[in-house]
Amino acid sequence: MNFDAVPFPVLYSFILWAIVIGSATSIVLVISLMATIVSVGVRGPLVFANELGAMVGDLISLSPRRIFALAQLTFREAIRRKALMVFVVFAILFMFAGWFMSSSNLAPEFQVKIYVSFVLRAISWLILPVVLLLACWGIPEDIRLRSMHTVVTKPARRLELVIGRMVGYSFVGLIVLAVMSVVGWGWINRQLPVAAQSQLVCRQPIEGGLTFLDREGNPSEKGINVGDIRMFHSFIEGATKARAIWTFNGVGDQSLDREGNLLLENRFQAFRSHKGDMRRSIYFQYTFVNPETNVRVPYPLKTIDEGRGRTDRINRTLVNVGESADGKKYDIVNDLVTKSGQLTVEVACVDPGQYLGMARPDLFVRTADLPFAYGYFKAVACIGMMMLLVIFMGVSVSTFVKGPVATFLVFSVVMVSYTARDFMGKIVGDPFVLAKAREWSGQLDMQKLEGGGVLESIYRILWHMNPTTDLPVGASTTIMKWIDAGLVNFLWLVYRVIPNLDYFGQSMQYVANGFDVRFDACVLPCILTTLAYFGPCVLLGYFALRVRELEAK
Amino acid sequence: MSTTGQPREAVIEIRNLTKIYRDFWGRKKVRAVNALSLDVYKGEVFGLLGPNGSGKTTTLKMLLGLLFPTEGEIKILGQSASDVRKNERIGYLPEESYLYRFLTGEETLDFYGRLFNMSGADRKQRTDELLKLVKVEHARKRQLKEYSKGMTRRIGLAQALINHPDLILLDEPTSGLDPLGSRDMKDLILDLKAQGKTIVMCSHLLADVQDVCDRIAILYGGELKVLGRVDELLKTQNQTQVLSSQLTPAAQAEVEAVLKKHGAQYQVDHPTANLEELFLRTVQESKDRPGRRLIADDPANKV
Ligand SMILES: Nc1ncnc2c1ncn2[C@@H]1O[C@H](COP(=O)(O)OP(=O)(O)OP(=O)(O)O)[C@@H](O)[C@H]1O
Ligand SMILES: [Mg+2]
Repeated sequence: MNFDAVPFPVLYSFILWAIVIGSATSIVLVISLMATIVSVGVRGPLVFANELGAMVGDLISLSPRRIFALAQLTFREAIRRKALMVFVVFAILFMFAGWFMSSSNLAPEFQVKIYVSFVLRAISWLILPVVLLLACWGIPEDIRLRSMHTVVTKPARRLELVIGRMVGYSFVGLIVLAVMSVVGWGWINRQLPVAAQSQLVCRQPIEGGLTFLDREGNPSEKGINVGDIRMFHSFIEGATKARAIWTFNGVGDQSLDREGNLLLENRFQAFRSHKGDMRRSIYFQYTFVNPETNVRVPYPLKTIDEGRGRTDRINRTLVNVGESADGKKYDIVNDLVTKSGQLTVEVACVDPGQYLGMARPDLFVRTADLPFAYGYFKAVACIGMMMLLVIFMGVSVSTFVKGPVATFLVFSVVMVSYTARDFMGKIVGDPFVLAKAREWSGQLDMQKLEGGGVLESIYRILWHMNPTTDLPVGASTTIMKWIDAGLVNFLWLVYRVIPNLDYFGQSMQYVANGFDVRFDACVLPCILTTLAYFGPCVLLGYFALRVRELEAK
Repeated sequence: MSTTGQPREAVIEIRNLTKIYRDFWGRKKVRAVNALSLDVYKGEVFGLLGPNGSGKTTTLKMLLGLLFPTEGEIKILGQSASDVRKNERIGYLPEESYLYRFLTGEETLDFYGRLFNMSGADRKQRTDELLKLVKVEHARKRQLKEYSKGMTRRIGLAQALINHPDLILLDEPTSGLDPLGSRDMKDLILDLKAQGKTIVMCSHLLADVQDVCDRIAILYGGELKVLGRVDELLKTQNQTQVLSSQLTPAAQAEVEAVLKKHGAQYQVDHPTANLEELFLRTVQESKDRPGRRLIADDPANKV
């Protein structure tokens, strides 16, 4: 995988969420208070307070029966308006896809990767547009046809209307998703060439932490940069004291396979400074280290398997025959794992002048695999979360703009999230984005972008002033900086309001690469992101429906 | 109908109501209702008349909180128009049947019943009752998109009555109905009135209005031109109408002779729909002399 999965920072994210919601709500409240004062004069604050009270009243007097009625209405509308035609497209896609995908000359893992990502992509690319259109057109059509007039003149709260719509579309989406994912799963099992079936697994890795020793044997945070653009990987030089050291926590008897082997799987890469021996790949060596007892047990040399990775079944009983050979037998779990369950593995590159590249997830202890379906349906659940998120945003936005505009708006938010979010993150100085940028570019001093804010940049361009020259001191500079700071704060809010959709896409990569979808690094953020948007979307939709006239303009 | 002398409970109070439609940029487009004030009392059938585009529907929509007044105040069932709780006791039949066309007749009523938080058994019973009342029982399992205009209208009426409302707002209730249907509609309105409900209806069919309304208001260009009891408005003080059937030409000549003898000016004619006259006269005079209130005194307003 080309990303380093780290646990989702729940508390940090929650605090950010609270700040964003708080500031957005205050902005809305202040603006509406001012609008009320402008429109009704001195009685403004009173009217405003009444209205606010009524909204809170609506919030606490929700009726499940009405919400269900509205959700069912939404559901029936979607079904009877033939939203399920999407299945026909899906079926056609899958009937013919098999013809183009039978490339049995590829390695089994790649076949699995192609089939699984095809299915998951197909599902999400079909389902997301469908729910997007449904969610964005429902309320505007309801207003345009004035059928909503018969609903809001009943005791149905406008809040219930928004929630009912969301729930209804979610049901439609979940049913479509369930059917598609089961069909897709069956299709993978049936269509995947027999030779590749064995690779249809759900690996349960124990990932470790990675540190390095440089060529002199001194600890360092990173290995060597070989000028590879993918600086996600770090390299160690062969036949020197350079080492990559992984420490795995929670290793015990349960981590071994049924025959008592420890499965170590790696995805090491090579960087060659000379041609080397053409008949073999590059040698590397694992050394098991117990820092508590200072026992070091080397494992025989192996060659790396570039691109595919290799799995070594290491018998739990190791005979120490290495450099400091004492000929003794060591048991991996009992002698090499520390009392706190930590296993340390040192990796060395053996070939002189060659380099071995790795990143933290590239070596892991592979515990007993689970059936493929387990990870697959977890990924499907993540797609489902994204679908719900799109529905929430669509319904919410469609309460104040018409169908096409709403569709375009939500679509843009998704696109901006995929394309420009990181850039915005750099401008506003999101520590996580900066850290990621550092990781990938190797630019350790990655900071906020230079040249100041918008106005300052324009000023510098017009006056041909380079970013390092100080600006003239004075009131205008101060004002300019103030405005720029204000703009950056606004951008910060926009940046924070745009959802981070990376996690939803990552879930597919896990499964396509034969891994289980990590809960703390992927499933949890998907769930939390969706939940985090539910409340604000409902409130925004409710607010918009309440302050607007339900008349087609 | 109670006598005009007693103070009566106002179900709807409209004070100085003005509505200006604006476009997206906030520019004024139309002044649809202008400084309208009127009351509707409990238990009466109130008719809102006026030529096309005179602001009747706009007024109803403001009463229901679908549109927000530009100025003025509305009290409906003692609450403000934007309060949803008032809807518990209101039934509304929109101008056209804005229903969900993909639902069947039965599902439609069940859906609206649920919006009133009615239990399953109640809804079932009420649905059967209403389908029978509006005579679309035979089509209960068909989707509304297959309904004829009149049938949709009838379902629309049924949904307005689902909650046993105290106040019923009907926007052109007889439009699209066949003669039998409008007869039924009028009977139903009188029936509802007999049950003590308050009814506000807009209509163009003056004969219908004359048949069922206790009081009417005529709007022109968003302004109130006439407001009063139908019978009072149609009573012309210095004229006497003699109605008779089967009067032979000889007898008629005799009557004319008597009238001549007393020096009265007279006209022999067949009776006309008087409300029509009033309506046409109001419209004509409003056109000629804009901005003038024609008949301001509403006897029912005097306590
Ligand atoms: N949504 C709207 N936007 C702008 N103007 C509107 C809108 N709805 C109505 N109007 C205007 O408001 C005025 C009053 O319209 P309204 O529908 O209340 O008339 P009405 O008395 O119900 O007429 P009809 O007898 O034809 O139903 C008209 O001039 C109309 O053009
Ligand atoms: Mg109308």
